[in-house]
Amino acid sequence: MKKEEHLRKLGGILGPFLGLLLVLAIFSLMPEISGRFLRLANFKNVAIQSVIVALSALGMTLIIISGGIDLSAASNLALSCVLVAYFIQAGFSPWLAALLSVLNGGLIGFLNGFLITRLKVVPFIVTLGMMGMARGIAKWVAHNQKIDAPITWLNSLMARSPRPSWLLLSPGIWLMIIMAVVVGVLLRKTVFGRHVFAVGSNEMTARLCGVRTDRVKLAVYTISGLLCGLAGLMEFSRLTVGDPTVAIGLELDIIAAVVIGGGSLSGGEGKISGTLIGVFIMAFLRNGCTMMGWPNYFQEIIIGAIIITAVALDRLRHGQE
Amino acid sequence: MKKRRPDFPVLWLMVFLILVSGFYACGSREKAGEQKASSARYKVAVIPKGTTHEFWKAVQAGALKAGQELGVEIFWKGPQKEDDRSQQIQVVEDFISRRVNGIVLAPLDDRALMRPVDESMAEGIPVVIIDSNLQGDNYISFVATDNYQGGVLAARRLAEVMSGKGKIFLIRYLEGSASTTYREQGFLETVTREFPGLEILVKDQYAGTTTESAYQLVENLLSRYPQVEGIFAPNESSTFGALRALQDSGLAGKVKLVGFDSSEKLIQALRQHQLHGLVLQDPMKMGYLGVKVLVDYLEGKPVEKRVDTGVVVATPENMDQPEIKRLLEPEVKKYVR
Amino acid sequence: MEQKVILSARGISKSFGLTPVLKNVDLELKSGEVRALLGENGAGKSTLIKIFSGALKPDSGVMSVEGQAYCPESPLEGRKKGLAVIYQELNLAPHLSVEENIMLGQEKQRLGFVERKKNREKIKQVLSFLHHPEISPDIPVWQLPIGARQVVEIARALVSKAKILIMDEPTSSLSQEDSRRLFEIIRSLKAEGVGIIYVSHFLEEVMEVADTFTVLRDGEVTGAGEIAGTSVEQLISLMIGKRMEELYPEPDFQPGEVILKVENLQGQKMGSPVTLTLRRGEILGVAGLVGSGRTEFLRAVFGLDRIKGGLLIISGKEFRPRHPRESIKQGLGFLSEDRQVEGLALKMNISDNLTLSRLDFYSRYGFLDHQKQKESARQLISQLGIKARNPEQPVWTLSGGNQQKVALARLLHQQAEVFLLDEPTRGIDVLSKAHLYELIVELSRKQKAVIFVSSYFPELLGVCQRIAVFYRGKLVDVREREQWTEEALMKAAITGNTDNSISKAKVDRME
Repeated sequence: MKKEEHLRKLGGILGPFLGLLLVLAIFSLMPEISGRFLRLANFKNVAIQSVIVALSALGMTLIIISGGIDLSAASNLALSCVLVAYFIQAGFSPWLAALLSVLNGGLIGFLNGFLITRLKVVPFIVTLGMMGMARGIAKWVAHNQKIDAPITWLNSLMARSPRPSWLLLSPGIWLMIIMAVVVGVLLRKTVFGRHVFAVGSNEMTARLCGVRTDRVKLAVYTISGLLCGLAGLMEFSRLTVGDPTVAIGLELDIIAAVVIGGGSLSGGEGKISGTLIGVFIMAFLRNGCTMMGWPNYFQEIIIGAIIITAVALDRLRHGQE
Repeated sequence: MKKRRPDFPVLWLMVFLILVSGFYACGSREKAGEQKASSARYKVAVIPKGTTHEFWKAVQAGALKAGQELGVEIFWKGPQKEDDRSQQIQVVEDFISRRVNGIVLAPLDDRALMRPVDESMAEGIPVVIIDSNLQGDNYISFVATDNYQGGVLAARRLAEVMSGKGKIFLIRYLEGSASTTYREQGFLETVTREFPGLEILVKDQYAGTTTESAYQLVENLLSRYPQVEGIFAPNESSTFGALRALQDSGLAGKVKLVGFDSSEKLIQALRQHQLHGLVLQDPMKMGYLGVKVLVDYLEGKPVEKRVDTGVVVATPENMDQPEIKRLLEPEVKKYVR
Repeated sequence: MEQKVILSARGISKSFGLTPVLKNVDLELKSGEVRALLGENGAGKSTLIKIFSGALKPDSGVMSVEGQAYCPESPLEGRKKGLAVIYQELNLAPHLSVEENIMLGQEKQRLGFVERKKNREKIKQVLSFLHHPEISPDIPVWQLPIGARQVVEIARALVSKAKILIMDEPTSSLSQEDSRRLFEIIRSLKAEGVGIIYVSHFLEEVMEVADTFTVLRDGEVTGAGEIAGTSVEQLISLMIGKRMEELYPEPDFQPGEVILKVENLQGQKMGSPVTLTLRRGEILGVAGLVGSGRTEFLRAVFGLDRIKGGLLIISGKEFRPRHPRESIKQGLGFLSEDRQVEGLALKMNISDNLTLSRLDFYSRYGFLDHQKQKESARQLISQLGIKARNPEQPVWTLSGGNQQKVALARLLHQQAEVFLLDEPTRGIDVLSKAHLYELIVELSRKQKAVIFVSSYFPELLGVCQRIAVFYRGKLVDVREREQWTEEALMKAAITGNTDNSISKAKVDRME
């Protein structure tokens, strides 16, 4: 009995994990790149490419578990990316610029949460509106072009080889790992985390049990906004310019990562580990397809197929229990 | 509790799908007439700004042509989303991981692509920049159209059809777009220097990225300045927008129009004398030379830091000459499926 | 007019699994006749209706419509044979117009195009026949009041040339005025020769509108005949019959101090204000039919619906609930009547469901002590005899009875003093019911206070010390258990009439 329970718990993460192994196996078997793909350098490369999506996907996991959705994530990210550049160009210190832009991300998230809980408008609509607004503000701040900011230490956060070499991994990757652990602990080990699951699983029950559902949602959207702000900062670090058109359509990749990792759009389900695996599956696919020189449409088809497969697989597992 | 067996067929389905489509992709690449990987001397990645525009198709054709002639395997790969700087960086990084012999890159941003190019050079993978410039000079060569010269030619052509006098518009494309800014600059400076008879009515209006926005701008300008006699537009979409606006107000052919880059509709307009000149770049040559310069470098031959791929003006009179026709309608199909 | 038999059913039997729901039921309906189909909840009325409509197939028995053998494969076939059912919850598409709703699936058309004019004429004709010519065919149904929606549904049945109409609790959500108009419609339909099977709890209405009756109890016909010459009391005793009593534990009430006092409490959704007192160690039953206002009363006390007026006093202190969180702190515990939709987070595991209302207990600086939480869950599981493998099992894998025990255990875990139980025994098997009664009585022995809401009156009589009755949004009577009989409860709940030979206890009537 005990063993089967463990198996069942493991099964939730096993599916996506097998998918990741599969992707890795397929590309390492391709003769053209077999020597290159399974290298530490390439893994670091993919890890850096994953940082931005991963940070936003952590927040999205919280939101999806709570039964919501955030379509404004990518626009929020772009706005934050533009703001860092704007503040640095305006002569602020990099620290202050970074702080302000991350806080702005939190503010956008808070606004999402506020509108959803107060106006009782569904998250899809509120964040759809916010998606346009944040993107518009980003373009406005940047006068519809990119902002060239002077190079600062912020731009070395996402370097392939870290500046003080004892870091081993670039600071961006460390940030991703730390945030994943923090959000994971928040979700699994705290009262707040239980409340997030309860709200997503059955909001009426949560209310009945004295959970202040509105506050939980507000907190979830704010945290997610902060993480998007952080992702925007990383995006700036990578681009070295503030680009208001960056990450268009990225919100769908973010949502896909959560869904591949076992998140349910009807709420109450989702895992940080699963989400990260979802992010890596997509990143490795992109990396592998590029290394093979396969055309873009091909990798889009595969990722689409994987999303459907992952969710179908999840349904199947549920159906059996 | 039941066993969780049925997961596995789904997984197998996934394997099957990826493999089948993988082989399909490989197969189609070979069909395109490319050299087999094994027989190629070098592997070269060519990274455009996007993959769907005609212009980039022609660049691809040129690159593949060079690949065939020089025995080089070409990887043609753009950012997954058109014009996405972040994704173009990823593509460069992935090819560094792949350790190709060299990269030919059309950077989406003169700043953002600097670091990946630096990294590539540092790892011993030479980079040739095509089409748009990159800040700094840590690359092998810059192979591109001389856009300033294109603007000069456009000014001369417009002056020619207007007999050196009259009132004109300069329609600008987009703030911060380097190549079109050079064209506009070349045009403006040539007009003020060489043709005092031409009076510039408008020179600070931006057409924006779409045909629609260009159309609206020109329409508004036409009603504001009905006395206009000539227009220059610095790229394909703004040229077409201006042409549509002229056609709809019945002025096509009366107001002289000189544009930049070609498309089917613009060729037609040229033939009907609604368009009086079209400055043409040579994207195929750009793709060809990009690869050629890189291979020269790899073989230890000296290379120029700046290679011009040339510009010419197509006019209704010369448009059927073979060298102009080749540029108006590049033989893309011969190389790209 | 010659009355001929249009629907006849002989020897209908139906079982779900091993449980027989209908046993050898006979029923006959003549044209122009209104036959009342009576019985308590669970007597088999809705199963019988489903068999008539074609939604279910009987295990045995024969039916005929207008002398022709009738064994429908689907509700659609039933409709084609001229039989239409108007369900309690109306089956209309709220965003479509009246016309579109009426014609849905039976549009007059030529070459695939809707013939609007013909449709329109037909609808006008039907609506004026139903005494509702004022209903415009163009407005969307959601804009209509509930009574008018029912008319639309009847109109739909008429357009489809139905000869047999089955109305399932048609007046349960109608105002008195709308009910009266409905009876006029029924009379017009009778005159047209339509046969009607009329299912209702409200016996006074039945006496007014029906010609004949058939009473079901536990799946069997206990009586049938003419309404004329039959009394309400006779009908009630046919519905109730005799019943076993050993399900219920021996209560032993020792009421203590007053813990909950409700004075003129008026919730947002309550029909009229309510005054009640509740003592420690007491089980107060609340009887009433669906929609009688009993649930709304409980929800207002718990702070789920807003309170417009009146006082709530808990242990001598005034309390104004704004959020369930505060009510829980005050020692109130609420069990929802709908455990699937509201009561439980089905995807979460037992341990989380049990402790959700008091997670703070396991937290230190916001971090949860999972071991301690699981330990408590294990204790509660064994204390209540919940059949589960372990505390990590998701709640949706449990049976209905065990789910309900989880919901009840949560109230114990949050250390509630006043238990507000809304239909705690709905949809669970007899053994679990007996276990729940035992648990509830146990609560009273521990000097907790319980309000027990149910529409199954025998259990109230079996478990409670006092019983209050709600009727159409009003609290009509509260009496000691000894002063109620099942007949009296039933009569009070379905007529609001408490004039009875038994001496009158205190009546909380505020008007």
